[in-house]
Amino acid sequence: MTTPEMDELHDELRDVARRLLAAGAPDWGRLAEVGWTGLEVPEDLGGAGVGFAEVAVVAEELGRALAAAPYLGSVVLGVGALTLAEPDPERDALLAAVASGTTRVAVALPGDGGDPPAFRLAGGRLEGEAAWVPDVAGADRLLVPAAGEDGAPVLVAVAPGAAGLAVTPVPILDATRDLATVTARGVAVEDGAAWAFAGGPAVLHRRAALAVAADGLGVAGAMLDATVAYAKVRVQFGRPIGSFQAVKHACADMLVQLSASRALVAEAAAALDAGDEGAGVAVAMAKAHAGTMAVEVAGAALQLHGGIGYTWESGVHAHLKRAMADGSLYGSPRAHRARLAARHRTATV
Amino acid sequence: MATPGDIEAFRAEVREWCRAHVPAGWRAEQTGASEEAFVAFQQAWFQELRAAGYAVPHWPAEWGGGMPVARQVVLYQELAAADAPRLVLAFVSIHHAAATLVEAGNDEQRRRHLPAILDGEIWCQGFSEPEAGSDLAALRTTARREGDGYVVNGQKLWASGARHADRCLLLARTDPGAPKRKGISYFLLDMRTPGVDVRPIRNAVGESHFCEVFLDDVVIPATDLVGPEDGGWQVAQATLGAERGLTMLELAERLANGFRWLVDACRPLDDDAVADRLAGFETELTALRALCRGLVERADAGRAGPAEPSIVKLYYSELLQRLTGFGAEVLGLAAQAELAKPLSSGWESGNWALDFIGSWEWTIPGGSSEIQRTIIGERGLGLPREPAVGG
Repeated sequence: MTTPEMDELHDELRDVARRLLAAGAPDWGRLAEVGWTGLEVPEDLGGAGVGFAEVAVVAEELGRALAAAPYLGSVVLGVGALTLAEPDPERDALLAAVASGTTRVAVALPGDGGDPPAFRLAGGRLEGEAAWVPDVAGADRLLVPAAGEDGAPVLVAVAPGAAGLAVTPVPILDATRDLATVTARGVAVEDGAAWAFAGGPAVLHRRAALAVAADGLGVAGAMLDATVAYAKVRVQFGRPIGSFQAVKHACADMLVQLSASRALVAEAAAALDAGDEGAGVAVAMAKAHAGTMAVEVAGAALQLHGGIGYTWESGVHAHLKRAMADGSLYGSPRAHRARLAARHRTATV
Repeated sequence: MATPGDIEAFRAEVREWCRAHVPAGWRAEQTGASEEAFVAFQQAWFQELRAAGYAVPHWPAEWGGGMPVARQVVLYQELAAADAPRLVLAFVSIHHAAATLVEAGNDEQRRRHLPAILDGEIWCQGFSEPEAGSDLAALRTTARREGDGYVVNGQKLWASGARHADRCLLLARTDPGAPKRKGISYFLLDMRTPGVDVRPIRNAVGESHFCEVFLDDVVIPATDLVGPEDGGWQVAQATLGAERGLTMLELAERLANGFRWLVDACRPLDDDAVADRLAGFETELTALRALCRGLVERADAGRAGPAEPSIVKLYYSELLQRLTGFGAEVLGLAAQAELAKPLSSGWESGNWALDFIGSWEWTIPGGSSEIQRTIIGERGLGLPREPAVGG
């Protein structure tokens, strides 16, 4: 698909998303009702069978709306984990249930890493701890990527209330994200509740990183729009402040940086959907760039709004905080650059 | 509609062509080369590309172009990857002059000059003046109608390649009484006309491709007027940005190629701060290339945003400056001991200190970075214009 064709397709999805989100943050039922829980679920399991590029558009719009919705944990990671797990009837049933909204899952992928696996399965029992896990509260099943009995990666499904499993919410400055520490101490795993998960952890981590990068695009886009709108009406020295080059050029820089991030996120999403060998690199670039960009754009927005931007009431701070969380979740810009740099040491680029 | 298979076959074809035709050792030969050697090399390389159908792929098919955009993207990617020489001397001829002729010229002018450009006719651009830089519309060179022609007087500045040029795209004021942008006309000046005096200006790098052009009672026949009299500003606006997408794409691909040399120069990369900066540059280069491809594809579909060319120009210019500056910093005095860079190369010749100094040739001309930011703010974001001073 060419860039303009992709633009057109995504513009439609974006318009629908904006209208829906104008009514407020969607809960799980609403996410399912509008079809967002099943975007990537195959059509024969009740989903839409589209790709990550479309998931990223929704993620961006949720970021733009600062929506507190269980999308990252239950859709991006949940559907991703199930899709990557070895197919069997149980898995298919769970995937269909997620698409229809009857079951909500969360994935115990640590928000600060994921390699080596935070959990291990030994003697049918699950052991380990993951910090900064999104959207566990309210989930019906918890999917846990773990090292299996033989050391190979597995995905294990447990009940959030299972004996030995503790979920401790950890509030952060960004009140729109629901993060928790998940601790498993000898949690019994039922038969048929573990799937082979070869290649799963790495791809899952990429999906998570790219989804928060897309979220950052939305946060930054909202801040740019708000800043431009404000600069057109706020008058000082007898002129709208947006007519001053100092302000105009700062807004231009926001757009330039946002455009660069947007291009990187689109490329990474396409690479992920195509299963490209270079998808990991593309995601690292997108995450590194968007993570820094969103914080800078939200920061510039606060600056250009002047004193009013520093107030709690203006809400600018909420965008800055979400941008900061997006920047840190699933690898800081610096951590992703370190991944890129490792290639420069060993091979030609 | 090109299939991915067609595109990959074309890529292989260009790659093979480059293997057979890119002259070995051209960089060494062009380093410190004389002006004559530079011109001869540029003309010969242009004819090589022409014979392959690669010189003017962006021209209309009837004039020898007509290559689909998807193939042009591949062509520039492969030329960059093969480190082929750049078409420096013919740049204005094949891009600005051709766009002017195709978009605004008449049939006689097109027939006269498009084939001539293919045969090596060199053009320069006579837009800027001492008192008309960023404020181009303030230009003062006059063209007075007299009989079958115009008599031109004034001074042009920053006319790149003017001392080798056969022709000049000239903006001059035909109605001194009209508002700034209304009284300007666009001419195809023959540089051999009596009264044209070209003086090279040595730039910060030490090269002299920029020239001053003095025009003293220069007679231009009316047949060399492009578009309507007093309609030159519109012609210039329509043709200036016309080629920005693909020319920027070529430069972006070349910069990405130059980045590989920078990584090589920084090995073994045992300094984490250097490694971090390189990873950041690689990320920005990837973004730049994607922005260029997006601009080219959207422009081809008639869907490019009003600020997209400015975003790409600004992003490239400033990335070039930071990247070459980093190369100069890392390589230090050794880079500063390289006293000449190869002519015919890209803006990242690998002589990082001189490349860094040369990068201001991107942040200042063609609409400075400040002007680009103003365009992005006003056309891209709809921010209010500054109150005008003196119309």
